[in-house]
Amino acid sequence: MTPPRRKGVGPLILIAPAAVLLGVFLVLPYLNIVVMSFRMPGQGTPYGPGYTIGNYTKFFADGFYLFQVANTLWIGLLTTAICLVVGFPVAWQLARGAMRFRALAYGLVLSPLLVGIVIRSYGWTILLGNNGLVNRTLTGMGLIDHPLPLMYNALGIVIALVHVFLPFMILPIMAGIQGVDPSLESAARSLGASRFTAFRRIVLPLCTPGIQAGCILVFVLSLSAYVTPSLIGGLRVKTMAVTVVDALIDTFQWPWGSALALMLSVTGALCVVIFARLTRMKWKVARP
Amino acid sequence: MKRPVLTLYCLLVYAFLLAPILVVVGASFNAGNFLTFPPQGLSLRWYVTFFHNDVFMRAIRTSLWVAAVATVISGVIGTMAALYYVQHAGRWKETVRVAMLAPLLLPEVLTAIALLFFVYAIGIGTTTMIGMVAGHVLITLPFVFINVSASLESFDPSWDMAARSLGADRLTRFRRIMLPLIKPGVIGGALFAFIISFDTFTISFMLKGIGTSTLPIQLFDYLRTNFTPEAAAVSTVSIVLTLVVVIVSEKVLGLRIHRF
Amino acid sequence: MTEVSIERLTKTFGSARAVDGISIRIADGEFISLLGPSGCGKTTTLKMIAGFEEASEGAIRFDGKDVVNVPAEKRDIGMVFQNYALFPHMTVDQNLAFGLEMRKIAKPEMLSRIAKVLDMVQLGGYSDRYPNQLSGGQQQRVALARALVIEPKILLLDEPLANLDAKLREEMRVFIRDLQRRVGITTVYVTHDQAEAMTMSDRVVVMFGGRIAQIGAPSDIYERPENLEVAQFVGQVNLVKGTVTGVAEAGRCRVASVFGEIAVDSRANHAPGNSVTLSLRPEAIELKPAGQGGAQGKVTARYYSGSIIDYRIALDSGETLHVQTFPNIRIAEGDRVSVHAPADGFWLLGAAK
Repeated sequence: MTPPRRKGVGPLILIAPAAVLLGVFLVLPYLNIVVMSFRMPGQGTPYGPGYTIGNYTKFFADGFYLFQVANTLWIGLLTTAICLVVGFPVAWQLARGAMRFRALAYGLVLSPLLVGIVIRSYGWTILLGNNGLVNRTLTGMGLIDHPLPLMYNALGIVIALVHVFLPFMILPIMAGIQGVDPSLESAARSLGASRFTAFRRIVLPLCTPGIQAGCILVFVLSLSAYVTPSLIGGLRVKTMAVTVVDALIDTFQWPWGSALALMLSVTGALCVVIFARLTRMKWKVARP
Repeated sequence: MKRPVLTLYCLLVYAFLLAPILVVVGASFNAGNFLTFPPQGLSLRWYVTFFHNDVFMRAIRTSLWVAAVATVISGVIGTMAALYYVQHAGRWKETVRVAMLAPLLLPEVLTAIALLFFVYAIGIGTTTMIGMVAGHVLITLPFVFINVSASLESFDPSWDMAARSLGADRLTRFRRIMLPLIKPGVIGGALFAFIISFDTFTISFMLKGIGTSTLPIQLFDYLRTNFTPEAAAVSTVSIVLTLVVVIVSEKVLGLRIHRF
Repeated sequence: MTEVSIERLTKTFGSARAVDGISIRIADGEFISLLGPSGCGKTTTLKMIAGFEEASEGAIRFDGKDVVNVPAEKRDIGMVFQNYALFPHMTVDQNLAFGLEMRKIAKPEMLSRIAKVLDMVQLGGYSDRYPNQLSGGQQQRVALARALVIEPKILLLDEPLANLDAKLREEMRVFIRDLQRRVGITTVYVTHDQAEAMTMSDRVVVMFGGRIAQIGAPSDIYERPENLEVAQFVGQVNLVKGTVTGVAEAGRCRVASVFGEIAVDSRANHAPGNSVTLSLRPEAIELKPAGQGGAQGKVTARYYSGSIIDYRIALDSGETLHVQTFPNIRIAEGDRVSVHAPADGFWLLGAAK
């Protein structure tokens, strides 16, 4: 006899492989890295015997790292803000625009995702370098005498990061706008709201979850981006992720690298929580 | 076009999105020794150099191999998990979702570091590919899960009931009704997984062993010290490979998607 | 050729009793409708007959054999779903062939049966279409064909016309009814539309809150409703207060009301002096110009709808009546009228259970 709806262990077999995978290769490693951050630094080995909170005191004592975290957060915020401003109209156009070129436009937005991050960052080094396409064109047109400093600084990093993460902003916002029935806007306008008021009072609050999702995604991705800051920033401007990876790969300071990585992640998570709180309060998102 | 300003603005953004990619592709045909503008004539010499570069060719093979293995594993695991999530999770639904998306929500650099320490902690290190493949499966799993569960959510339970009323047993219903109907989601998820795996950097960078560099790592290493257009040729080939995978899976596997 | 017998069937969800001990005997070839508002348990009952819901208690017998423990795929039923549930990745032919394949029917017979059924639902020539290339009505007929081609023991239909527009719905009523007669298959039809249930069924089962309120032929349900709830659900009804003045014989009383003293039928037992409610169907009432006897009143509203006119009448005694007449009488809003109701237009209601 097969009852219509099976209960019990049967269906658990479906989730078991994923649970084992996540348990072994995600949960355990994360627990491990927390433990690692309390290890003693090693002498010629990645870590030494015994435990200490020295890695964290070093982080807070040394203003350099605090400054670097602040700098990384700033780059992340800037990238997120620019992505939002640049991406919103595009998301709007994709969600509500004329149908004819929708598929093509959608493909264009997705296309950067199909190209590796190394290649895209490389493209920006070609564009932004002192002898890059942008500077060459500008000098060639006689607009500037000396090449503009577009690379090896925060500006270059932000430009490239915006490019890399823009699709992650556009796609959730587009989904959010698509989720808002256009007739709601018509209803608001029939009640006397201007186009702008209808947008601000009706559409914006309803697609806030999409905006939030996009912002959080871009912010988190920017904080942990390694390739782009490393190639564009070079040795001059280092974000936290670059410092962390270098500490691990080049100098084998595992406990110190772990502590740095965790501090960056915790700060990032705090920012996300604060952001989520603030935006929800401000727009009073009605949860269905 | 109803709103010319908005349209123009969007075109500029699309141009911005495409610019670095087009520049890379263009640079690969540069005949000169350096990335100069305007290019010193057109040539395929950097492609020839690249195809004779064993390091890059080995990296391409490694990348394709890792991506294929990771796609198969996360395709199967992710599809099973999505089935559980949509049909059986009940009040654990939200928990399952968050857990399955966790690799996407956690910073990749942190996951990579954690995995690196972990494979050393359990003694397998980076001498085997286990760590790297596990990492690739982890970061591709959410994409399979999202795509498959989306297609499962649009699977109407009455289709299953109809098949039952017509006498189909559990296995037949899965094979003849559910699988064909969620196939677009499974293919889409696998496609995403493959591309993400093929292009991912940080996980591979931390977990690579000796001689197991993937293409993005090799390219990154190369770019730190070299400025020849060979890197552009490598990039262009990588882009073309990705496109081929997308088009082939659309044409061959996805044929039935468009029939209904 | 199947008789269905449902005995004390119950379905509980937690502490809620969605279906509460219902018993129905369905004769071979009979067309039965389960009629009731949403949440009355009619769909749950159908799903239990189909095997998609487990019965908590009670028995379901097909020709005397209890099928409660038989899984849906082994019950040999044909089911038509509200949204048709046609497999979108299969053509009409493939949809129809599916059930036959499950029964391992040989190819030649399969083809001839599919052709025959498609012909029956007037969809020859649509074999190679996909469901999304068909109109709603056509999809509906494919769903019907798919259920019938396997020659099931019983045919179950779950609000199959709910997604069609009004005109098509009326056509399909007749179509399904004729088809069922021709095939002679035992049929259970779930609907919340009383007109649908009335036109199509041999018998109607009216359900409220998981229980059966009344089982009977459509005319029985309409003309002799068990209680107020049933009367109101199966059509518009006027309620007239009255007092029992005498009991003539079992099931027949004399009742005094604003329409005078009349003899009416009832299922319930009443004693003289009881206050009772009489039901009076709007179409049984006749309006005449004022002063021609009967109850006196005034037209407060008039709604013209082509084949009939609806009037609202305020009786001088304070009651409000709803009257339907053919449009051949010309009475305007504000006119005073005489209201006549023949004795056989009344029905004495029992109290609602």
